[in-house]
Amino acid sequence: MMSKILKYSFVLAVVFPLVFLLGLSLAQQWQFPEVLPQQWTLQHWGNSLFQQGDILKSLFLSLGLSLSLAGTVSVFAFFMSKHIAYSKHRQLYMRFTLVPYILSPVVLAVIFQYYFTVANLSGNFIGVLIAQLFFALPFGIVIFNNFWNEHLKSIEQLSFTLGASSRQSLLKVILPLSKPAIVLCFFQSFLVSWFEYGLTQFIGLGKVKTLTVMVFSFINEANVFYAALACILLILPPIVLLYMNKKILILAR
Amino acid sequence: MLPVLAGLGYALSYSLGLTGLLSKGITFEYWQKALTSQSLWASFLYSLSIGLVSVFISLCFAVSMALSWNKSIQQGRLSYFIFLPLCFPATVMAFVVLQWLSPSGWFSRIAFELGFIHSLNDFPNVVRDFYGIGIIFCSVLLITPFFTILMSNIYRNENLLHLENLSKTLGASTSETLRRVTLPILFQKSKMTLLLFVIFVMGSYEVPLILGRQYPQMVSVAIVQKIQKFNLNDIPLGFAMSVLYVILVVLVLIVFGKPSRKYLKPHFK
Amino acid sequence: MSEAFLRIKQLHKWFGQNQILKNINLDLSDGQTLSLIGASGSGKTTLLKIIAGLENANQGQIYLRENRIDALSPQQRKIIYLYQDALLFPHLSAFENIAFGLRLQKAKHIPAQVNAMLDKLGMQDQGHKMPNQLSGGQKQRIAFGRALVIQPQLLLLDEPFGALDPEIRSHMQKLFKTLVSSQNLSAIFVTHDLKEAIIIGDNIAKIEQGSLIQYDSKKAFYQDDKSGVNDEILFWKHLKNETNED
Repeated sequence: MMSKILKYSFVLAVVFPLVFLLGLSLAQQWQFPEVLPQQWTLQHWGNSLFQQGDILKSLFLSLGLSLSLAGTVSVFAFFMSKHIAYSKHRQLYMRFTLVPYILSPVVLAVIFQYYFTVANLSGNFIGVLIAQLFFALPFGIVIFNNFWNEHLKSIEQLSFTLGASSRQSLLKVILPLSKPAIVLCFFQSFLVSWFEYGLTQFIGLGKVKTLTVMVFSFINEANVFYAALACILLILPPIVLLYMNKKILILAR
Repeated sequence: MLPVLAGLGYALSYSLGLTGLLSKGITFEYWQKALTSQSLWASFLYSLSIGLVSVFISLCFAVSMALSWNKSIQQGRLSYFIFLPLCFPATVMAFVVLQWLSPSGWFSRIAFELGFIHSLNDFPNVVRDFYGIGIIFCSVLLITPFFTILMSNIYRNENLLHLENLSKTLGASTSETLRRVTLPILFQKSKMTLLLFVIFVMGSYEVPLILGRQYPQMVSVAIVQKIQKFNLNDIPLGFAMSVLYVILVVLVLIVFGKPSRKYLKPHFK
Repeated sequence: MSEAFLRIKQLHKWFGQNQILKNINLDLSDGQTLSLIGASGSGKTTLLKIIAGLENANQGQIYLRENRIDALSPQQRKIIYLYQDALLFPHLSAFENIAFGLRLQKAKHIPAQVNAMLDKLGMQDQGHKMPNQLSGGQKQRIAFGRALVIQPQLLLLDEPFGALDPEIRSHMQKLFKTLVSSQNLSAIFVTHDLKEAIIIGDNIAKIEQGSLIQYDSKKAFYQDDKSGVNDEILFWKHLKNETNED
């Protein structure tokens, strides 16, 4: 009984922030000390989705950025990780992949910044994409690292002896088998980029207005209703992914 | 790796006065300034303590949840709710915490309605406060789900259920088993991952940017602020600080060993 | 002596400072199975991988039907290497696993060929199953079928029955003999089980710490004191005597 109550209160505590944000995005007037908004409105949603294009533009920009990053990371990580996993210096390489875990992305951005300015990559989409790539690629390589094991190597060799060329082996054996790893890498890279603020702001010079950048500018303007709305847009894709990804993970077994 | 080294090289040379707008030849002035600056060390210590406290509190929650709900975490509907907080970017979580804990925030309104406080100013200062309570609260919300999944994975992988039963057949009581078997194993197996998270919280940027105050400042915020300032003398100082930060983190890793991601990594057959 | 089907001459292999294979010489006639006995770490797996083209030797030559093959890629050799682990492709059904090589060759009448093979393996109605629905013995049979259906020049087997129960194991040994003789295949069969080596092989060789001894005949193998056969015979004699005394 006690355990049930605890479980329900846990669920409530987890869901509450979502409900709270939703409420905030629907509020028009909410002065202290009212616990609930005094006036409700759909206007913020209507404005941002249909009239003023700012939030909508950010949404598409963020989606474009995160999807491009996820695609790029998945392809690079797939081939680089194979190289690393079968290399003599695997341990050493894997140690390097710790860098983004221990260095905060914004500090990474600070030390990269000079080179991005010189290469004319500051303040534009491509620059932010490349900066995020440096940060997200090691995460992708870590995901694939466990995938390239002795078992898979034997399967690949077996397909060679059965007459498959390297290309055929890749297309008919390795890629189908790596599907769960690729999906996982894609979603994870997507989220890394989707959540990123510091690096994007620093390399993008505030000109690449992703959703997280928008949230900060709304907070700075003390525009809480729009900030809450942008927050909800930020949470939505991860929730969809969570629902799908758990399923995908179960399917992969 | 190469770009990191190149970046570090630039930051180092900037901090030594070799490059940059105010460059006037090699000088240790900025390093001297940085190393003797009280605010810099305050920043590091402050970040470290926030990291340690957040990890410790999260750990307590995570262990209790993992142990009492072990089955439902791995499968069933509860598992979705455990994962749900992972959908919150740090930015959003910090915003939510700000809206809850600030003096005009939701908790303050509830306290007012219940008659605990009589005006905005009565509500205790927990965001942008000296002790970083807001930052800690937010960090705990952010990392507890990771820890819960981590602990529950260890519990399953290390066959803890069998070990617990074994310990009970050897005559240990439930609390003795917890103290002598379960908790030591969980800690032993997770300590390197915990280290990773201490460093992670130390380096966090968005959360202290929203919930922190001017002094003391978390490291990342301090570095960025120095570099973006109009005072050109602060820029080399910021670079010196970022190099120092990298060196310190690497030192910690050399002293304590390699942080482990074993139980957070996906497994493929 | 007739022309050898497979001939290996003066083959050496090092891994760094370690010499894994020392001056290997080996002959195998057409349609024959050679049992290769050796403990783990004796270099037998490396030898098989070199023959299959999955590893390179540092020195020496390999001939198949008089043609030198050591510069060819694994795909060109038509030599199949089977492991203890059946290594079925987990994303393909049993049927598709067998069809894999045929599809690469763009062969004709694939379904008929695969079904005939399933028939021979005694698994007519199992073709639709995925690898994780098959037992250990069944997986190994499919792995055989997958290898045999593309009519390889040579079959290399690395303790293929090592992980099976004794009963299934002896069944598989019989199946192997029938299949190999029906297709007139040549094979090298690695095992560390003396009895299995004798049952399966037309001929026997032994590998010890990277050196290989090939016997002229099975009889020569039995007569070698170091083969272990005599110890085995002594043991059974001893046991027989004891039971008679009782």
